[in-house]
Amino acid sequence: MMLLNLVIVQIFNGLVLGMIYVLLAMGLSIVWGMMNIINFSHGLFFAIGAYMAYTVFSVTENFFMGLILIPIGTGLIGIFLEKTLLRRLYGLNILYQILMTFGIALMGRELIIILYGPIGKSFVPPESLSGTITLGSLFFPRYRIFLLFVSILLTLGMWLFIEKTKYGSIIRAGTEDSEMVSALGINISRVFTLIFGLSMAIAGFSGILSAPIRGVEPMMGEAILGICFAVVVIGGMGSFIGAIIGGIIVGLSQSMVALIMPSASIIVIFLVMALILLIRPRGLLGIRD
Amino acid sequence: MKLDQWKKTFQKNLSILITFFIFLILPFILPYKALATEILIFAMATIAFDLLLGYTGIMMFCQASFFGTGAYITGLLIHHYQPNIFLCMGAAIFGAAILAVLFGYMSTQRAGTYSVLLTLAFNELIFFIAYQWKTLTGGSDGLRDIPRPNLEIPGLLNINLFSEARFYFFCLFFFILSFILIKMITQSPFGKVLQGIRENETRAQAIGYNTRFFKVTAFVIGGMFMGLAGNLYAMFMNFVDINHVAFDTSGKIVMMELIGGMGTLFGPVLGAGIVTLASDIACAYWERWLLILGAVFVAFVLFARGGVWGLIENVRGRLKVS
Repeated sequence: MMLLNLVIVQIFNGLVLGMIYVLLAMGLSIVWGMMNIINFSHGLFFAIGAYMAYTVFSVTENFFMGLILIPIGTGLIGIFLEKTLLRRLYGLNILYQILMTFGIALMGRELIIILYGPIGKSFVPPESLSGTITLGSLFFPRYRIFLLFVSILLTLGMWLFIEKTKYGSIIRAGTEDSEMVSALGINISRVFTLIFGLSMAIAGFSGILSAPIRGVEPMMGEAILGICFAVVVIGGMGSFIGAIIGGIIVGLSQSMVALIMPSASIIVIFLVMALILLIRPRGLLGIRD
Repeated sequence: MKLDQWKKTFQKNLSILITFFIFLILPFILPYKALATEILIFAMATIAFDLLLGYTGIMMFCQASFFGTGAYITGLLIHHYQPNIFLCMGAAIFGAAILAVLFGYMSTQRAGTYSVLLTLAFNELIFFIAYQWKTLTGGSDGLRDIPRPNLEIPGLLNINLFSEARFYFFCLFFFILSFILIKMITQSPFGKVLQGIRENETRAQAIGYNTRFFKVTAFVIGGMFMGLAGNLYAMFMNFVDINHVAFDTSGKIVMMELIGGMGTLFGPVLGAGIVTLASDIACAYWERWLLILGAVFVAFVLFARGGVWGLIENVRGRLKVS
């Protein structure tokens, strides 16, 4: 009975972790599919979101205000960077866009250290979301349930947006062939800007969500970037559903392995990735070869 | 050979000779000799990366895996067995080569940006293994107390390398060797195929080359020299740090490559010198100077994609015209 309880709790924790990965991988995957950019600054925006949440919460003590305002902020920063820096590199070898996002990530990390110091800070979830909910003999932290709920809602919203709206169909078409989309009279460069902003807004949002669980520290963006890459590889590049499945697989395998051998819980992510690469090079639901 | 033929070869290799000459006097003009050794070792790692990025067009972020594997193998061997120095070097190169075969094979499965992302994921894998396997690698503490082995050829010579100057010239020998080897590779038919892949991989395939084989081979050659650089670095520092396998080390090599000027071999050497010197000077004034380095890097990506070497060539070209 004890073991079963432990397994159920770990499945729950794995889902919580997995949903954070899902949110990050979604943005990463859409940007790659549409713009063919591997965004090395994706983790940075995750960190920015978390740090902004830390600031907003310690100043106003209102967690929910940050939850709405900060993604707008990170989205605008993303749009600004796309318009001022990335845009100049379109049409060149893709290499330079990768290098650019890498440079941005490095600068951003240093800026965070300058502003907040090199040592991480802890972050307590807001009072209305602290405490636990008891289900039989199991305890679930209220905040994690909230996280799971919100992130599933956002994922559903994104899915509806991509599958059911006109903008979504532009994104789907652009993932197939962005040149053709622009030939049909759609202002593709504006779409690129918005996609990049949207992706950065979601990255910021997932940063806020995970801050009360893991605190904030300057290296958090880099640490999660590699994992997100693995998620995208597992799910398949450019596939929305793939990102969801990949995120949940990674979250669950991480939390399950933590039960048996905690030190291997991150290593196992990359081993799963390598395995899937060997069996199915394009990932579970990848769209391109 | 006739005199003017000699003159021609001399002129052709003038830049190489100048580079080697600069390295001969470098330890005596810099504030301390260890700085020159650091430049040398990173220059070696960066020219190895140049073979991949500059000549084959393969971007990657797992340099630290090869570099760090070389360093850890060296550290572990010296720590437990104190073998001959050449055995250490061979083992480090061999270990990095094995890893490069694996990474090269896996990441070239699919072309384009995808492989870049894979190399970063592989680098994270190696980092976390080194971080968690504390009984072997010492985890975040790294491996301490690695004495430099003597330069020993049984029956011939036995010199200790404890002085910084001696170790510098020991490294210089292997740097020159690596430089010449990589230069020869780029000029060989094999190297021309690599450049063909960089220019247009589909076309190279159409001519009948198995481009994947060439790419994996490039990975292995590059990985071997990075492993050698890691080996020298471990002996140089007398310890192995977890940072040597971390993403930061990969990033550093990428920055040296781009700031120096990719695809030129001289550029990366210059880049290694500039970044190492600048960080040594700037660190004393401002701990967070990486912000400035990041900004400089972004500026190079935007405005001077040929790097410092490209700028020099540009000026030289203009002088010739006028």
